[in-house]
Amino acid sequence: MIKHEGLKKEFEYVTAPDEREHIAGLFASGDILMQEMAYNLIIGNNIEVGSLVKKALDEGYSANIVLDDGLIAGMAIVGVKFRDNLIFVPEVLISARAMKAGMVHIEPILSASGVEPIGIVIMGTVKGDLHDIGKNLCIMMLRGGGFSVHDLGVDTKPDDFIDAVMEHSASIVGMSALLTTTMPNMGTAIEAFEEAGMREEVKIMVGGAPVTQEFADEMGADAYGANAVDCVNIAKELSASPSK
Amino acid sequence: MKPKDQSFDVNKAKKSLDTLFGIFADISNNADELLKSRCPYKNAKSRCTAKFECKNQHYVNQFGALPVCTGSDFLDYRSAWQTDKKRTY
Repeated sequence: MIKHEGLKKEFEYVTAPDEREHIAGLFASGDILMQEMAYNLIIGNNIEVGSLVKKALDEGYSANIVLDDGLIAGMAIVGVKFRDNLIFVPEVLISARAMKAGMVHIEPILSASGVEPIGIVIMGTVKGDLHDIGKNLCIMMLRGGGFSVHDLGVDTKPDDFIDAVMEHSASIVGMSALLTTTMPNMGTAIEAFEEAGMREEVKIMVGGAPVTQEFADEMGADAYGANAVDCVNIAKELSASPSK
Repeated sequence: MKPKDQSFDVNKAKKSLDTLFGIFADISNNADELLKSRCPYKNAKSRCTAKFECKNQHYVNQFGALPVCTGSDFLDYRSAWQTDKKRTY
């Protein structure tokens, strides 16, 4: 039963009978704290989601309940709203940021139970390029896929990639570019890893609208991803493959 | 207040994370389709969230407000991007 007024309104956007039944089931416990958490995730209030997850865990809610009845239940509505063009990529990414703020408190519990991140990934858009949507979608997917991701943002200098790999002991670097003019900066960054004597330590995957497998090979990247789902599959393959 | 179940079931959590990944995968696949016509930086209120300038940005006289996107969703939006200029407003 949905008691939270804001969440009730959000739930009205779910119109397909099977989805209504499924999502209503996620809120069946009628727990107002979980509903408040789900609502704040939908509206993208990352600070509130973080503090509500902490509060719930402090009050003795299990991480399973917080994950299922709060965070995932909220994200299920976000997915429906996005599919139905009620919200768009910027809103989804804001909700994903709120999800991350909540997961910060869940991850130590997962880790203590032996669920460690699959790998550590450094992500950034290359120098000279200010696009970030594709990269941000990849980051959302990677985190959802079980990776720990450090986002360097846009216009990332080669040295910043190198510094981040060293700081976070990352094994994978993901570089994004959306312009033909900035694509070559992927090669520059890869060369920088070679010059620093670190090329053998990291797997480098590249992506972005103008990037192709051929270009990735030419630049000396280890892998190319055409989209965000691809990015996760590739990162999993790279994590499983031994270092050079 | 409803009693809480404090036990943590790791296998249940793994299934939950798989569910979450499925939601994200659906979102990502829908995004790929949507981006063919609608600029990904345009939010639900038709405001531009890009960090760079774009010819489709129409600035409104309100402090801190995001520019309005005047893109049509019919023409290719990418030709309007001026990605060499950071948005300063």
